[in-house]
Amino acid sequence: MNAPETMKPFRHVGTRPVRPDGVDKVTGRALYGPDFKAPGMLWGAILRSPHPHARIVSIDTKKAEALPGVKAVATGRDFPTLESLVMHVGEGASDIVDVSHNCLAFDKVLYEGHAVAAVAAVSPEIAREALGLIAVEYEELPFVLGVEEALAEGAPVLHDTVFTKGVEPRPDKPSNAAMRVEMGGGDVEAALASAAATVCERYALEPVHQGYIEPHACVASWNGDGQAQIWCSSQGHFAVRALTASVLAIPQADIRVMPLEIGGGFGGKTTIYLEPVAMMLSKKSGRPVRLAMTREEVFRASGPAPGAVIDVRLGADAEGTLVAAEVEFLYHSGAYAGSDAGSGVASAIGHYRIANTRVVGTEVLCNRPAAKAYRAPGAPQVNFAVESAMDELARKLGIDPLDLRLKNAAAQGDPQTSGLPWGRIGYVECLEAAKAHPHWSAQLGPNQGRGVAGGYWGNYGGPSTVNVSVAEDGTITVATGSPDIGGSRASMAIMAAEVLDVPYEQVRSVVADTASIGVSMVTGGSRTTFATGMAVVQAAEEVKRLLCERAARMWGVEAGQVEWRSGAVVCTDGAKQGQAMTAAAIAGNSLHSGGPVAAVAALSAKGWLPGFGVHICDTEVDPETGHVKIVRYTAVQDVGTAIHPDYVEGQIQGGAAQGIGWALNEAYIYGADGRLDNAGFLDYRMPVASDLPMIEAVMVEVPNPAHPYGVKGVGEVPIVPPLAAVANAIHAATGQRLRDLPMAPDKVYAALHPEG
Amino acid sequence: MSKIHVSTTLNGDAAEFLCEPTSSLLDVLRDTMGLTGSKEGCGSGDCGACTVMLDGEMVCSCLVLAPEAEGRTIATIEGVAEGSVLHPVQQKFLEHAALQCGFCTPGFIVAAKALLDRNPNPTETEVRYWLAGNLCRCTGYDKIVRAVLDAAADLRQERTPA
Amino acid sequence: MVVMPPFDKEFFGTDRLDLAPHNLFDLTEKLDALAPGFAAIARPRVHYAVDGELETDWTRDLSQAREVIVLPRVGGG
Repeated sequence: MNAPETMKPFRHVGTRPVRPDGVDKVTGRALYGPDFKAPGMLWGAILRSPHPHARIVSIDTKKAEALPGVKAVATGRDFPTLESLVMHVGEGASDIVDVSHNCLAFDKVLYEGHAVAAVAAVSPEIAREALGLIAVEYEELPFVLGVEEALAEGAPVLHDTVFTKGVEPRPDKPSNAAMRVEMGGGDVEAALASAAATVCERYALEPVHQGYIEPHACVASWNGDGQAQIWCSSQGHFAVRALTASVLAIPQADIRVMPLEIGGGFGGKTTIYLEPVAMMLSKKSGRPVRLAMTREEVFRASGPAPGAVIDVRLGADAEGTLVAAEVEFLYHSGAYAGSDAGSGVASAIGHYRIANTRVVGTEVLCNRPAAKAYRAPGAPQVNFAVESAMDELARKLGIDPLDLRLKNAAAQGDPQTSGLPWGRIGYVECLEAAKAHPHWSAQLGPNQGRGVAGGYWGNYGGPSTVNVSVAEDGTITVATGSPDIGGSRASMAIMAAEVLDVPYEQVRSVVADTASIGVSMVTGGSRTTFATGMAVVQAAEEVKRLLCERAARMWGVEAGQVEWRSGAVVCTDGAKQGQAMTAAAIAGNSLHSGGPVAAVAALSAKGWLPGFGVHICDTEVDPETGHVKIVRYTAVQDVGTAIHPDYVEGQIQGGAAQGIGWALNEAYIYGADGRLDNAGFLDYRMPVASDLPMIEAVMVEVPNPAHPYGVKGVGEVPIVPPLAAVANAIHAATGQRLRDLPMAPDKVYAALHPEG
Repeated sequence: MSKIHVSTTLNGDAAEFLCEPTSSLLDVLRDTMGLTGSKEGCGSGDCGACTVMLDGEMVCSCLVLAPEAEGRTIATIEGVAEGSVLHPVQQKFLEHAALQCGFCTPGFIVAAKALLDRNPNPTETEVRYWLAGNLCRCTGYDKIVRAVLDAAADLRQERTPA
Repeated sequence: MVVMPPFDKEFFGTDRLDLAPHNLFDLTEKLDALAPGFAAIARPRVHYAVDGELETDWTRDLSQAREVIVLPRVGGG
């Protein structure tokens, strides 16, 4: 509630009503993934590999099966053998064979925590006891955790089927380099040679977890006739359906996925881990089966964001015009290919106009859990390196870091790294708003420093289906296929109420299951308010048209003699001029007037635009301990149009907090044995309330001309700039440049006390 | 191993249950009593999503053995509202949009109510430190802290005789 | 038309192709004829841009289009 109110020509868009699912969520009534139970349900548990890399020689499940109360045991051998098929049902492409083998290992385990076998029993205690009775014989293999080590000659190769994509000639032997993406143009070397100032540095980050508080959980019930129901939380129940059906080689329509409330996802719930396993246990036992991860399993077996090693070279002339940029990075892909090197390349330097560029990204396989999308996947890592380097360059040039960015900022029509021109983007507007903000010129205290960083995320559109229907009393139901992960029911109701010009409370918004609404892509890519919102507007417009048409027929006037005004049909001409007919009067007469009033919009939304943000961070560094305190934080972002500003601000604040955590404390820490040492919230330290100040979200509104209300995606952008904003602030406070995340107290202390 | 019989007061009503000696109070609340408002985020007392009141003290119910509840009074998120009337903390969470996914929300509301029951006028810093045992990954805490401060102001108003 | 990395090296050995597709489905078929296997990965991994704008509607008539760019699809979370 801390952003300035802007004048809007809207009745509902830009207001802040209470979300329709709010009361259920503040009273504990809302049902999340782990909350659902089915009659006769069994409790499942999963046996996981203690080794980071091993061949499975044999699995003996006989003793487990013999334990009283055990009703089913499953291993990877129970799943059908699949042909390689790359699917893009979530965000980011995955090979269905990898998805299957990640749910239950087939012949090799590729990381500590890799699922090996599963049990369903009449109680959780018996299920866990049964896991201890499964005998797995492993042949341990050498393992590799680091990206550079994984590319070294003689490194253990995870998959003998992976030949680096994107290089020519095609490699003749398999390696851990899954994919290489290169973009750019011009002559980087010549431009750097002629530059007045250059920065040439290496930056590094560890993998981090999305950190949603709700562990993965599902209940599956697979009947003898082949039809099944799955109750689970996810970022996309259609993705769950498509992936689960593909892993099990069964028809998608035989699975009905019921979306439960989702307790956070941030990209990590755009795939499946448990559902096919629960399905297989249900098939074998003939009963519904619940599977849920513990927090430890979430850390060990669900996807972290890739860590990285990133080399940056930047050059500018004496006036501060960037003349060259080269970025080369290696991203941890973990056990399977797909760590967003393409996104990293597209997110590295496109926010600046630079004539000579070269960006190269490589996805590297290693014996860690398979990397998965995390809020602006692939962007924060490379942005940390580039925006740190920009700060270093500004200091070398003696130019204010915001001015250096303003001088080079990309605007509409400027080329992206791919060469495509930017559309109506708002980076310049954000930089100007940051410069004008009182925070930028506020006094600093002792041991304090201020940093700034800018960044962007491409956003997305894609397929959504929406059904808007009118009840007999004229109230409106909006059904979407998009899970509500942060208030989207409210945004959908606002947009429908805006179209129909009716009170917000007259519109109720629900998330429908896979059998009750058409296909909708995941809630991810910051697409839901944009794409599903576009479908809501389209369906609501059609409902409005139908209501006008019905009223005209009921009155016996021409269609051109009625119009929609203030939530009702008004006759503007002819015999009934001046009369009004409400939605209730029309829908209540549906028997006699042509049937119920409802409209489906099924579309693939185009015209999405990227979002840009600029973050200002003040840190105070304790020279005695190396502890970094965030004392003030302002996040400026071009949000297009804020449909529900509270939830837009909330996205910005939450993304900034996650970025601050990544910058200061979060990291996967492995022992020499290849096992994760900090698989819990005590040792994997996410920000708590006392770690943070208020986070001021400043919304800049540069509307997207392709959306009826100007929406741009907002959810992912805010995690991009914080890493460098914090690092730059620490440098300003201490004179020390930290290029290796996280900037935990031990590292800061070591930088402040090089003598030891 | 035979089950243990436990008698408690749960959200104001007498309640009995049978549990394993090793069951946590959280498991019994969720799986035996059907009160799934208390959430399990970690099972190790680090996230606060399972926060309940036990004899007026705030506890992580995942760290309490269910048999320890014998003869004691338990208050969960399900008992915070009075019938259909939300507690001011709940109401302010809605008005300030202090929840996104809502999974951590029950724990935050129970913890925030416990704070305001003993300190009707907390500072922002006091709110932040009191809630430091509750993890939220969505909001960055900004709107949660504002909601709690606003609820405190409302409660003070309520308590002031007109 | 222009083929962006990694597809230039992964499939075509060049970043410039001269084809006359009537729409993007037709283009996908023509590219698959040049580099068998391309069509299978096009849906999950490829974005097309027509005259500087991303185009997800592959039915769009290309008779008036000046340039098509093949570039990697970027995913979000």
